Amino acid sequence: MRTGHFKESTGQLIALTDNPTTKAWVAALVVALLAAPLLLGAYELGLLVTVLIAVVGGVGLNLLTGTTGLISLGQAGFLAVGAYGNAVLMVDYGWPVWLSLPAGGVISALISLLVGIPSLRLKGLYLAITTLAFSFIVSHIILYAEPITRGPNGIFVSGAEIFGFNVQKGPPLYFLTLFVSVAVVLLALNLQRSRLGRAWLAIRDHDIAARAMGIDLTRYKLLAFMISSFIVGLAGGLISLQIRFINIDVFGLILSIEALAIIILGGLGSIAGAILGAIFLTLLPEVIRIAFNLVLEPGSSFYSTYVYEIRGVVYGFVIVAFLRFKPDGLIGLWRDSKKFWSNWPLAY
Amino acid sequence: MDFFLLLISTGLVIGASYGLIAMGFALVYKATGVVNFAHGELVMLTAYIAFSLTQIFGLSFIPLMLVTIPISMVLGLTLERIFIRPMLGEPVFSIVMVTIGLAVILRGVTIMIWGPDPHNLTAGVTRDVIRVFGIPFYAAQLMSIAALAICTTLGWAFLRFSRIGISMRAVASHETAALLVGISVSRTHAMAWALSSGLAAVAGVLFAMNFKLAPDLWFQGLKSFPAVILGGLDSILGAAFAGVIIGLIENLSQGYIGQGLREISGFIVIIIVLMVRPYGLFGDRDIERV
Repeated sequence: MRTGHFKESTGQLIALTDNPTTKAWVAALVVALLAAPLLLGAYELGLLVTVLIAVVGGVGLNLLTGTTGLISLGQAGFLAVGAYGNAVLMVDYGWPVWLSLPAGGVISALISLLVGIPSLRLKGLYLAITTLAFSFIVSHIILYAEPITRGPNGIFVSGAEIFGFNVQKGPPLYFLTLFVSVAVVLLALNLQRSRLGRAWLAIRDHDIAARAMGIDLTRYKLLAFMISSFIVGLAGGLISLQIRFINIDVFGLILSIEALAIIILGGLGSIAGAILGAIFLTLLPEVIRIAFNLVLEPGSSFYSTYVYEIRGVVYGFVIVAFLRFKPDGLIGLWRDSKKFWSNWPLAY
Repeated sequence: MDFFLLLISTGLVIGASYGLIAMGFALVYKATGVVNFAHGELVMLTAYIAFSLTQIFGLSFIPLMLVTIPISMVLGLTLERIFIRPMLGEPVFSIVMVTIGLAVILRGVTIMIWGPDPHNLTAGVTRDVIRVFGIPFYAAQLMSIAALAICTTLGWAFLRFSRIGISMRAVASHETAALLVGISVSRTHAMAWALSSGLAAVAGVLFAMNFKLAPDLWFQGLKSFPAVILGGLDSILGAAFAGVIIGLIENLSQGYIGQGLREISGFIVIIIVLMVRPYGLFGDRDIERV
């Protein structure tokens, strides 16, 4: 007689899920996402696009920081490279967007080698500072490489078409970002259960021990850098499509901190966590805005004057609070509530 | 030749402020093993506090420092108590992320209190030009170079001779062993935060006097990273000298190579230094047992 849920083969152990309930819920989510343009207004749809872009960026960073344990404070740099790569190829060279978007990701992946190779010997804080330095250097180069990037003037991104649809607004943009984010999530999930993902986990837990077991640190760390930057570059390209005008101010340091906040809030190393974190952090400014509108008297300019500062303070408090009280993040909260639900009234 | 001397002199001035800021980073890192990403924000906040003090009481430089430094030390103690102490024993990554969170909080709060407009902080120091060996300096510029020299000497003597300084070095070299010989590790951590906030006040006030008191002052914290890395994260005196070196490199590269290199040459130096010596120029190489 079977007395529990056993996994008897390697295939079962690494399968994404063998739980019919999970499958049903995922199917329901996919249907809901496909039907979203019919149900939501333009503003909500735009917000959903922002969430999906944040999901792409969060999943990308999560492969590097959560899975491989390489802390990066330079996400804004990779986003900028992806966004500029996409915008320049599309606007100035007339590439179709289905080609320029991945090309932006590829450029971002190649550039990541520039920071990846020097930082092979680094870990922890030194790596964080190197990536930070990298993002400053990138934004500086973009600012001064005027013939290519138009420097401080920025680029107006327009004319992105796939199958004759303008993918810069409304449902076409939504379906493009949905397609990219689903593809990226599937890619990340499958990477994590492959040989590559297991090697990354070993490097995260102890790089010297991993090396002693025969894991080629150079190769796997560089792969982590490249794949993560490719995904983040895609997110950058999507940002350039969504906001339609990019200049270097869009990609400030706060973006790198937001990216880290997303994966910390979600739960480091977990794809579902990155998605939850992206949803939470993208909707947080909306919540703040609504809350301030309720509290402040009409016509007060306090919120509009200090919108970035307020947002920063709230991000800061959320990061600190999660690290202190719930280091596992939202996904840990979800697991705990699941356990509580199934074990109640027992504690465990 | 004049151009060269001018670059050197301005390089020394900005380098002195990098050195002062970098010393604060190194002090906290040495005692607690954490890079305090909020240090730049502390520099900004203490400069703004000093500004308010001059506005209200009209203090001149020396009394202003005598008041500002204790205030900022108390501030550092409070922040350590609220944000960092509860994280004791957590992984370094978490604590560093807490300091990043603290950084954005402090930045936002400072700007919300004092507003986005830049101010001038003179603290009663003359704007006359003083010539030293024919090189023109403002008084405030000489003061920041002098402050670096004083702080470095004091820092060296403190770590070498004072009881707290020696216990700080003990905690840095081995936390558990320090605990075993009766040093209070948490008190040492708090002390490091207080002292580094005091240094932040010196750095902040002098920077604001030399340049401007604006809401982007926090960025000087990040711009001092090259000095911290060049000096090796855990070497306080190394950080001070490296600050001067970075200041000179920035100015010379801007002057002779050009194209806004001042903004990034320090970061290029970081990447090169870390490629050659991943633990910084003066830092200790740690050997790890698996």
